[in-house]
Amino acid sequence: MRSRMKWGDFVIIGAVLLLAAALAAALLWQAAGDRLYAEVWQDGVLLERVRLSDNTDRVIEVDGHNTVVLSGKTARMQTADCRDQVCVRTGTLTRVGQSAVCLPNRVLVKLVGEKAEVDAIAG
Amino acid sequence: MKRIFAALLPLLLLCGCAAKEYSTDFFAMDTFMSVKVLGKESEALAQDCERRINELERELSRTREESGVWLLNHANGKAVPITDREADVLAAALAISGQTGGLYDPTVAPLTDLWGVGTEYAHVPEQREIANALLQVGASKLHLSADGRQVQADGGAQLDLGGIAKGYAADECAAILRAADTSGLLTLGGNIYAVGTNHGEPWVIGIADPDESTDYIATVAVQDKSVVTSGDYERYFEQDGKRYHHIFDPRTGYPADNGLRSVTVIDENSTRADALTTALFVMGLDEGMAFCEQNGIAAVFVTADKQVITTPDVPNVCTFFFAGAEKGYTDAQ
Amino acid sequence: MKSKRITLCGLLTALAIVLSLAERLFPLDAVVPVPGVKLGLANVVTLFALTRLPSRDAAAILLCRVALSALLMGSVTAFLFSLFGGVLSLLVMWALLRAEGKFCSLLGVSVAGAAAHNVGQVLAAVIWMKTSAVASYLPFLLLMSVPLGLITGLTCAAALAHMKKIDFDV
Repeated sequence: MRSRMKWGDFVIIGAVLLLAAALAAALLWQAAGDRLYAEVWQDGVLLERVRLSDNTDRVIEVDGHNTVVLSGKTARMQTADCRDQVCVRTGTLTRVGQSAVCLPNRVLVKLVGEKAEVDAIAG
Repeated sequence: MKRIFAALLPLLLLCGCAAKEYSTDFFAMDTFMSVKVLGKESEALAQDCERRINELERELSRTREESGVWLLNHANGKAVPITDREADVLAAALAISGQTGGLYDPTVAPLTDLWGVGTEYAHVPEQREIANALLQVGASKLHLSADGRQVQADGGAQLDLGGIAKGYAADECAAILRAADTSGLLTLGGNIYAVGTNHGEPWVIGIADPDESTDYIATVAVQDKSVVTSGDYERYFEQDGKRYHHIFDPRTGYPADNGLRSVTVIDENSTRADALTTALFVMGLDEGMAFCEQNGIAAVFVTADKQVITTPDVPNVCTFFFAGAEKGYTDAQ
Repeated sequence: MKSKRITLCGLLTALAIVLSLAERLFPLDAVVPVPGVKLGLANVVTLFALTRLPSRDAAAILLCRVALSALLMGSVTAFLFSLFGGVLSLLVMWALLRAEGKFCSLLGVSVAGAAAHNVGQVLAAVIWMKTSAVASYLPFLLLMSVPLGLITGLTCAAALAHMKKIDFDV
C-alpha cells in the first residue's frame, strides 16, 4: 500500500504546520504592534514622536509658538501665538488620523499608530 | 531534502513581499496636505506629487509675482499671455461658473479681500464697500482667447483660482498615480482623492462634523473618486456674536447664510467637485438638491438643524454610512 | 494503447471538473472571504494522473480542468487562482513523487501538493489584488491542507490499489 507513512511524511506535515504557525504568529505580532503615538511636526520635520498610554502627561513647546499637551491617550494644541487659533479650537484629538494644524506656524500634531476607522476626513 | 526546500521556496518568497507604502505631509496652497502612496515606487511617486503640487501653487497663486494670475490681476484690463495649464484651469473654472449660474465664481477675490476672513484684519465691511467690490465680481468679465493663450479682464475683475486649485492639483496627482498603476490617498486640505483601492478594499473617507472637524458624522467608501467638503467652519470670524465664514454669495456680497453647515461632493473630477461644493453651498439645500438631481451629482448636505441629506446619485458612486446619531444628527434620506 | 490513454485522460478531466464543481458546496467564503479560493479537491486527480500517466498528460489534464471549469462557472479570479494553485501543486507533487517510496509516501506528496495549491492561489490573490493582506488567510488554508491532503492521498492510494487488483493498466 502506497499510503504507509514514512518519516518524510511527518517532515512534510510538520513543515506545513510550522509554516502555518509562523505565518499566524507573524500576523498576530504585526497586529499587536498597533499602538498609539502622538507626532509633533514643524514645517515637515518630525520634532517628537511620543507613545501614548493611559498615564501619559507631557507638555511640548514648539519654538515658543505652540504648546502641545499630551494627556493620557489624547493630544491637543493648548496654545498658539497665531491670530486664527484654528488649531486650538480643533480641540482634543482622541483617534488615529485626527490632527490639529497650525497653518501660520506650520506646526502639526497628529495621532498615528492604531488602525484608523477612516482613512481621511473631508472637511 | 533539497526538493523540500525547493518546494518551500515559493512560500518564503510570499512572506517577503509585504505591502509597501509611503506617506509625506507638507504645507502648500495655504493648507496642510498629506500624500500617501501604495506600492513599490511609492516614495518616488509621493515626491512627484509633492513637486507637482508646489509647481501648481507657484503657477496658480494670486500672490506670487511670477504667476499668470498675478500678471492678469495687475494688467489694468490689458490681455496677458498664460500657460496651457493656467488656461486649462481657467477654462474649467469658467465652465463650472457658467453651469452653476455664477454661484461658483473665480472672480470673488475683491470680496474675500474686503472681508479678510482668516486674516488678522477680518471684519464686517460697510454696505457701500460691499457694493463697490461687487461691481468687480463676475466671471463674464474674464475673456479667455479662442486659442487659450491669452486672457483679459474687464472692469477691475480679479482672478482667483484658489477655489479649485486644490481640486486641480488632486486630479493631477491622481493621474500621476494612475499612470504608475498604483493606489494612494491624497488629502489636500479638505479635498481628498482616493486613487484605486486600499489594499483591495475601498478607501473610507469621513465627512467632518461641522462642530468638531477632527471627527466625522458620516463615512463614504470610495474607489477612484474625489471627496470634497466645503463648510462654514473652515475659516471664519465672529463679530457682535455673529459668525461670518469664507464662502461668499456673489449675488449679495455676504457669506452664504441659508442654513447649511457643509456640502460634500463625490466625483471622479476633483476640480469639478471643488467648485461644485462652493456653488452648492451658496445655493442652499433646496436649490442645491434640485441642481444635483438635474445634473446627476452625488452630494451630501449637512444642515444647521443637524440633518444629513444625500442626493439620489450618492449610492451610485460610493457606499454611504451615517455615523452622526450620537452627536444628535439625523439621517434624512 | 494510445486510445486507452486518451480515454483515461478524458475521464480524469471530467472527474476533476466534477470535483471542482462539488467544491463549491463547501462554504469556504465564511472563513476566507476571497471569492475563488477553493479547497483543492481536484488535486486527487492530478496526483493520480502523476502516478499513472506521463507528466505531460497530468499537466494537460490540469490545464483542461482549469480552463473548462472556468468556462463553466466562471470568474477571472477563480481561473487565475485555480491556475496558480494547480500548477504549483503539480510541480511540487511531481518533484516529491521522485522521492516517493524512499523518503515519503503518497500521503506526504498529497499534503505538500495541497499546501502548494493554497500557497499558489493566495499568491495569485496577492498579485491580482495588489495587496499582501489576503496572505492572512494562508495560515488557515495551510492548516486545512493537512487533513485535506491526507484524505486525497488516501483516496488516491485506495484507487491505485483497486486498479492493481483489477489488473488495469495503461
